[in-house]
Order: sequence, then C-alpha cells, then structure tokens
Amino acid sequence: MNNTPDALFAKITGFVATMRENGFAVGITESEDALHVAERLGVLSHTALRDGWRGLLCARAEEWHRFDDLFDSYWRRPNRQKALETRTGGGSTVEHGGAQQSGGKAGPVLQHGPDAAGAAGDSTAKEGASAAKTLGTADFRTLTDPDQTRAIEAVIRHFARRLQRLKTRREHADKAGRRLDMRRTFRRAVGAGGATAQLHFRAPRRVRPRIILLLDVSRSMSLYSFFYLRVARALAAELTDIHVFLYHTHLTHVSDALADPDPWRAQERLAMLSAGWAGGTRIGECLAAFNRQFAARLVHARTAVIIASDGYDTGEPGVLGRELRALAGRARRILWINPLRAVPGYTPAARGMREALPHLDVFAPGHDLASLDAALTGLMAVL
Amino acid sequence: MDSAAAIAALRATLLQSGYVAERGLAVTMLMMESLGRPLLVEGDPGVGKTEIAKALARAKNTRLIRLQCYEGLDTYNALYEWNFQRQLLAIKRAEAVGPAATLPDDELFSEKYLLKRPLLEALTQAAPPVLLIDEIDRADAAFEAFLLELLSDYQLSIPELGTITATSIPFVVLTSNGTRDLSDALRRRCLYHFLDYPSFEKELAILRTRVPNIPARLAGQVVEFVQSLRRFDLKKKPGIAETLDWAASLLGLGLSALQDASAEQIADSLATLLKTREDCLAIDQPTIGRLMAAAG
Repeated sequence: MNNTPDALFAKITGFVATMRENGFAVGITESEDALHVAERLGVLSHTALRDGWRGLLCARAEEWHRFDDLFDSYWRRPNRQKALETRTGGGSTVEHGGAQQSGGKAGPVLQHGPDAAGAAGDSTAKEGASAAKTLGTADFRTLTDPDQTRAIEAVIRHFARRLQRLKTRREHADKAGRRLDMRRTFRRAVGAGGATAQLHFRAPRRVRPRIILLLDVSRSMSLYSFFYLRVARALAAELTDIHVFLYHTHLTHVSDALADPDPWRAQERLAMLSAGWAGGTRIGECLAAFNRQFAARLVHARTAVIIASDGYDTGEPGVLGRELRALAGRARRILWINPLRAVPGYTPAARGMREALPHLDVFAPGHDLASLDAALTGLMAVL
Repeated sequence: MDSAAAIAALRATLLQSGYVAERGLAVTMLMMESLGRPLLVEGDPGVGKTEIAKALARAKNTRLIRLQCYEGLDTYNALYEWNFQRQLLAIKRAEAVGPAATLPDDELFSEKYLLKRPLLEALTQAAPPVLLIDEIDRADAAFEAFLLELLSDYQLSIPELGTITATSIPFVVLTSNGTRDLSDALRRRCLYHFLDYPSFEKELAILRTRVPNIPARLAGQVVEFVQSLRRFDLKKKPGIAETLDWAASLLGLGLSALQDASAEQIADSLATLLKTREDCLAIDQPTIGRLMAAAG
C-alpha cells in the first residue's frame, strides 16, 4: 500500500465509500482489501480490477448485477459527481412516478384502483363488513369496553404461554433430553465410586421466536384496525421480542408508542405517528420499504412475520409478490390474517391477495377473537 | 508473476482439470488466496457451484473436504466427537489387565479417540485443503454464526485438548441455493461470486470438455436447444448438469445430429432436461419441433 500514490489511494477508498452510499455492506476492511486487490492485479488493467473488486465488494446477487453500472459511473466518466446525481436522480424518478400516481388517485376514494379484480373484490369487502356487523357479538367496533379487552388479553396470554420455543444449536442439561451427557454422567459417577448410578441427558436450548406484526390500517380495514392494534398491544405486553409496524400508503414503526402504559396516550401517539390512517393501501411498496429498512436488522431465521390485511393493494402489480418472496426467504414463517376470509364464499380474488398466496405459510381468517386464536394456534403448529 | 499471466495460468489449470472458468471467477479465486477470504458462490441449481470447489482442489492438487449442510446440523457432525465407545473399551481393557495397569488421562483424550468431522479435519491438514461447505443456506442461522467465528480465526477449542489452531489455512468455498437468506455478516466476510447460466460459447466449451467424444454438430445443437429452452418460463430450468446428461443420453442412442433422432427418441430423452410434470406439459411436440428447427 505504501507505494500506492496518494491520489490513487483516495480515489480507491472513495470508490468503496461510493459503494457504501449505494447500499453495499462494505467497511474499512473492504477498503484495505480493495487496495490489496489493486496492488495484486495492478491498477492499469480495469477488466481484472473490475472482476477482483466485484467479488470483494458484492455480497448478494442483486448487488452483483448492479456493480458494473456503479463501477462504470465511478471510473469511466470524467465527472463522477454528475454520474452520482444521475443515479440518485434515476432512483427518485421512479419514486416520483409512484407519488404522482398516488397523487392522481387522490386518496381513499380511488383506492379500489382501476383494475377489474380490485373493483370486483371491493364488493366483497363491503359484504364482508356488513356481514360482520350482523354477527353482532363478533364485531370488534364495540371493543372499547374493558371486558372484551380482558378477553383479548386472556387469549394472547394463553398464546404467549404456549408459544413453542425454537431449537438452537447450543445444548443444556435436560432430564427429558435425548442425547446422553457423557461428561456429566461420568462426573456424577465419581461420587458413587465410579458406578454410573444415574444417566444424564442434554437437549437443545430453545428460544422464543421473534414476532413481527405488519398491520394494515387503510380505510378498507378500518373496521378491524383498532382491534388488531389492541391485539398488538396485548402481545407486546406479553412477549419481549416483538416489533409492530402500521402501514397504509407508507410504513411506520410503532413499537415504542404501543408500549406506552396509558392506552389513550398510546392511541394519541399512534394517531400522530400514522398520519394517513384510513387512507389508501400500497402493500407492495410498504413491504418493499420494510425489506429495505428493517428486514436486514429485524428478520432472522427465528422470526415469524404476521401480516394483517385484506389484500386490497393499489400499488403497481408484481411488487407485492416480489417483496413478499424476498421476505419469505428471510423469515421463518409468514402468517397472513385476512378478516374477509371468514365471509362465506370468499375467494382470494383481489390481485394483491393472489400475488401473496404462494409465499404464505398460513393464510387464516381473523375477524374475531376465536378465529384469531385459531390462526395463532395454526402458526404455532408450523413454527 | 504478472497478474494477467497469473490469471491466464489459473484458467488454463482449471481447464485442464475439466472446469471452464470465466475471467471473473479466475480473478476471484486468485484473490481468495491473496486476501485469505472464503468464497461464497450463489446461483441456480445445476450451474456448477459445487464443481468450483472440486476444480479448485484438482487445480491446486490438494484434498477436497466437504461438509454438506442440512437442517439440524450440529457440532458432533460438523466439528468433532469423542469416540466414547472406544474410550470405554480402553478403560475396560485396562481394568482387565489388572490394577497394576494404568491408563493415563492424556491418552484417553488423545487424538486416537477423537473422531474428526469435516471442519476439524480441514484445520489439521499439512497442506491447505479445499473446504467445501455445501448448501450453507440449509443449516440454521446459529450454525452460520458459529461458522463465521471459525472462518475469521481458523481455530476452535476442544475442552479436553485445548485450542486447535489451523496448521494451514484452507481454501473455503461456500455455496448457497437461496432457500434462506444468509446473514449480512457472513456475506461481508466472504468474497462473492454469482454464477449465472452460461453463455452459448461457455456452455459449448463445457460440453466439449466434459464429453470429449461428442460430434461437433450435435454439441452445437444440444447447447442451442438447451439455451432456448431456458428462455421458457419453466419451473425448473435445466442446468449444465442436465445439458451434459442429455448429451450423454443422445450419444448413447448413437446419434451424430438431432435430425437423425425420431420424435419419440427426443421426447423420451427430454426426461433428462425437464424435471417437473408442469414443464413436461408446457413443452409439447410442436414446441420441441420448433426448438429443434431453431437449433439447426
């Protein structure tokens, strides 16, 4: 590295920094190694350097495919500031497109979208809502009285207690374990003069899965969103490793607000956090935002993701399916609770729902407490 | 050695051992050595991920140690295990000889009674071996975290024996099919190579290397056919392994060009390429005819 001229040194570390800005997971070690690579391959052959750095700086297929463009825009244009602008400009153009679209749709009235499936599905939504209303006791709009809150809490407590703990690699002593603990057995045998009086066993340690709740609070879900929020609150009170998000046209992390001990203040904070409550839904884009911002940090192989939504998506077709597939790759299980599922004759006709179905582990109705209990039990069975 | 020459030399050696490597892959392999980082290879099934490790072992003329990952893979299958049965036997034997006989502890917990599993095996070789950790995505996240630790220090501790430091740093190749997303930490630790389906030229070169007695015309047709088959929306796209199987089965039928085969023979031999019922239904007789005509 000592013989690398300073300007070149700065340029190469600048390149690594540019990659970092563009979302590549690279750090100081990678900067150092990038210099090693340059030293080893020589800085004059840009094809070899490109290959060498690609292997070093990329960490996943998506980055692998983007690398060449970034490499070119940094090294092959005279004015890289401009190239950077073009890139970010490109990115935001796409977002602008989305924003304009939503602007055109102008909020909740048009959220059913132009596509036929959505429109047809929406009639189901109205039916769903009114059917639930006639059920009377099963409707959660009246769920402000403490008795029913207690009922929710009881169900959730029951769920939390039964929540199966998942196996980890580490083991601990366990009488009901299946693996003979030779070390302990021999050690205890010493006291009995070398006779193994009792066998000791080991079993894998178990930890509770992490739970992530993604709650749809758009207008089509307005009948149920308050109920789901109560459920989320009850869950958060019982379990420690739980993260709650609300989404409609954008995504909000509400775990902290939800943990507020005063229910009414929690509600106020939530209302402030989620401006746009009861608006339109862009599930696909919200999931994309979740995948981009939170998934890497929050979702691991012991995570169960619970999505509560009716599946009416007004975003671009295809996005929801793609993002859900990515999420399914990270998470252990995905549970989708759709209150409309309980309506007799319901078929998942809405486009969003059809896109989502192949990636779900459990697809359950969740219009009342009993069905929610059943859905959670179903989730535990597959965890 | 000059870097360009080194790359060319490595590619030539790989080719000799029966693996057609692109420039990019050869460069990455070279970097593996000089940076001492493991290599993570991703790509669809059947594009030759595992083959990279085998070719590397042949090119470096060293041992290939393979750890196949699966759900529930534990220390006892990945690292080491004490051979309890043998230890007990030794104790009993010492007892039978009489009270005068002694059995030192050091001997009881010596390498003689240690069952080495792939990871420990790879660390205790005299010459650096190639360690292939296959389908890492099938093992659970905790194992991945443990592996990360092992791959950064190249040492592990056995309570009875103490810490074992690698006598030589192995060339580590990890492969993943993407059934589960790997952690960012592991990805950062590794060099990365994404193996795509090969281009026409590369696949032809592979076919001629692996099936040397194939007629030139048939080889070209087979590759063209498979390449256009991959453009269909198939559930399971045929990989290189499938191309080789198909070529071998056509050779077995004694053909020197696709045109010599009857429609039945082709349809039967396609069992080597199409692996699901939906795909078999999607590629019907007229489609096969069209593909064959296109293949020349």
